[in-house]
Amino acid sequence: MRRNTWILTPLFVTAIVVACGIALFAPRVALAHAVLVSSQPGANSTVSGPEVAVLLKYSSRVDLEHSTLTLLDPDGKVEKVAIESEPSPGLLSAKLTGLVKGAYVLRWQVLATDGHITRGKVPFQVK
Amino acid sequence: MIWFLRDIDLLTVLLRAATLAFEALLMGGVAYLLAVALPARASAAVEDFCRRGIRMAALALVAGEVALVSASGALLMSGSDLTLTDVTTTNFFRAGSFAILFAIGLWICARLKSSTATVAMLPLSLLLLAATVSISHATARIDYRVPLAILTAAHHLGTAAWVGAMPYLWISLGRVEDVDEARRLTERYSRMALLGAATLVSAGVGMAGFYLGTWSALYTTASGVMVVAKIYLLLAMAVLGAGNWLLVRRLASDPEPLLARLRRVAEAEICLGFLAILTAASLTSQAPAVDVTAQDRLTAHEIYVRMHPEPPRMTSPSLAALAPPGSLAVAVADSQFAPTVHSDDTDKAWSEYNHHWAGLIVLIAGLLALLSRHRAMRWARFWPLSFAGLAVFILLRADPENWPLGPRPFWQSFAVPEILQHRLGALLIVVFAAFECAVQAGKLRTRWATYVFPAMCALGAATLLTHEHSAQVKEALLAEMSHTPIALLGVSAGCSRWLELRLPRSRMATIAGYLWPLCLALVGLILLNYRELA
Ligand SMILES: [Cu+2]
Repeated sequence: MRRNTWILTPLFVTAIVVACGIALFAPRVALAHAVLVSSQPGANSTVSGPEVAVLLKYSSRVDLEHSTLTLLDPDGKVEKVAIESEPSPGLLSAKLTGLVKGAYVLRWQVLATDGHITRGKVPFQVK
Repeated sequence: MIWFLRDIDLLTVLLRAATLAFEALLMGGVAYLLAVALPARASAAVEDFCRRGIRMAALALVAGEVALVSASGALLMSGSDLTLTDVTTTNFFRAGSFAILFAIGLWICARLKSSTATVAMLPLSLLLLAATVSISHATARIDYRVPLAILTAAHHLGTAAWVGAMPYLWISLGRVEDVDEARRLTERYSRMALLGAATLVSAGVGMAGFYLGTWSALYTTASGVMVVAKIYLLLAMAVLGAGNWLLVRRLASDPEPLLARLRRVAEAEICLGFLAILTAASLTSQAPAVDVTAQDRLTAHEIYVRMHPEPPRMTSPSLAALAPPGSLAVAVADSQFAPTVHSDDTDKAWSEYNHHWAGLIVLIAGLLALLSRHRAMRWARFWPLSFAGLAVFILLRADPENWPLGPRPFWQSFAVPEILQHRLGALLIVVFAAFECAVQAGKLRTRWATYVFPAMCALGAATLLTHEHSAQVKEALLAEMSHTPIALLGVSAGCSRWLELRLPRSRMATIAGYLWPLCLALVGLILLNYRELA
């Protein structure tokens, strides 16, 4: 998008095309609100199995029922993880069982109470 | 599919902006009908138009909410195993459905002319407000939910009473039977708007305190910059509003021309008001500043390094020094997935050079437009011609990997969306330059042609205020810091050109006539100082 800006900016004229253009083509980063503040296991950390407690802390209240956690295991298999409870607002807890040695990715999608959806992943190693 | 999903996010911002605007229009219409038109004994024609406006706003809100809920639902379902039934149990679905129901209720009430139906509009509007607030930022906060929800509701109410009701006043003033009726309506509206503005500002200050946390957040975070933009727009509206306030006082002595002026100024105010609502919508897509960690904030030093004045770059790196272009097929495929953010220092220097030339052209255009006010300098009125040069420049330099500078052929390269954008942009600039030249030379006298320039300014500003780019937070923020003032100057230029065209001969029109070339020149100066290299 870098070279792009200078046409956008100098003349508002272009911006109309860009309005359609952006709506159609431009990549965007979601900067909405339920942002992962901290996680356990931490991103790129190494933990010991076979049982791992998951604790995800978000910056805003989260709709528990409509948030999902999935685990990508070392074989590339994707599995759904049940969210257990919300010990305090914006905090999700879950339990991973039967983990073997290897690299995992925990993917999350949460729905904040204000209707914004955010996604992310926490990669970690099991030793 | 990936391609499609990526854009739903921007779509939801635009839809949120639309629903916010329609909500303000709907509630503003109800407020205007109940607090202004009816108590001021407005004529039947005026009352009919108010009711029609309310019905249209209600339908628009229904359409907007349906689209917003569908988009959010699609976003939620994609990439997870949530089903449609799950979506219907979410908060946003429920709130959206209730909003739709209440809007339909208001539509029915506006159709029925009975006094019960008219009175029922008040509770319905308040319920609508509750539905909207129930999915605002406030409810998702971990602390202080209730005070923040109250402040949010007050902010919406104030917006409705001031900005949302203004179009109804504008309609009314075009339909009044006599000047006395116009005076009664304007006076009542002014009082309501003043109250609305006071509510809006105090609630806004309260929320800013909560969401920004510190003063420095105003310039170190994206949401802070948006808040500053909103403040600017509101101040501009307040200036125009104050002018109108003074006009109303004199309405008794010299009614006819003043009434026309009142309407023209209201037009500019409405435009500013709805841009402020748009800014508010893009504010809700940002994380509030209090949640932004120190590492994602700019420091004063970083801002200084990027923003301090420096001589513009008027020499370009050689074409050979740029990263060699890849194949066209790869570029087309790339553009459909992740953005390819690889720009080295040479690329940045190339881009800076482009910006600086563009800035110079805009600066010259602004200065020429200013000069053309003088009788001896009539030739300068062909200032839009300089934009044609800009178009040629874009065609040549925006995409150096393509014809004529690069190896990729001209026609095939249209397949890359970014290049298509650039070329369409260049084409639009040429069309615009031709138009505005004809207008300035007095060859083209039709109304709509003269409005092309102000309309483009406003639309362009609207786009600049909503779009954001770059995957790195800090880079995006630095880009926004130069985009936002340009957008605000663009609005100012558009509104003042509009006023110059629409106002009858007056001191205000003269001031407006000097203001827009100045804004244009300032845009040029900002571009001349645009930098990507540290
Ligand atoms: Cu841009």
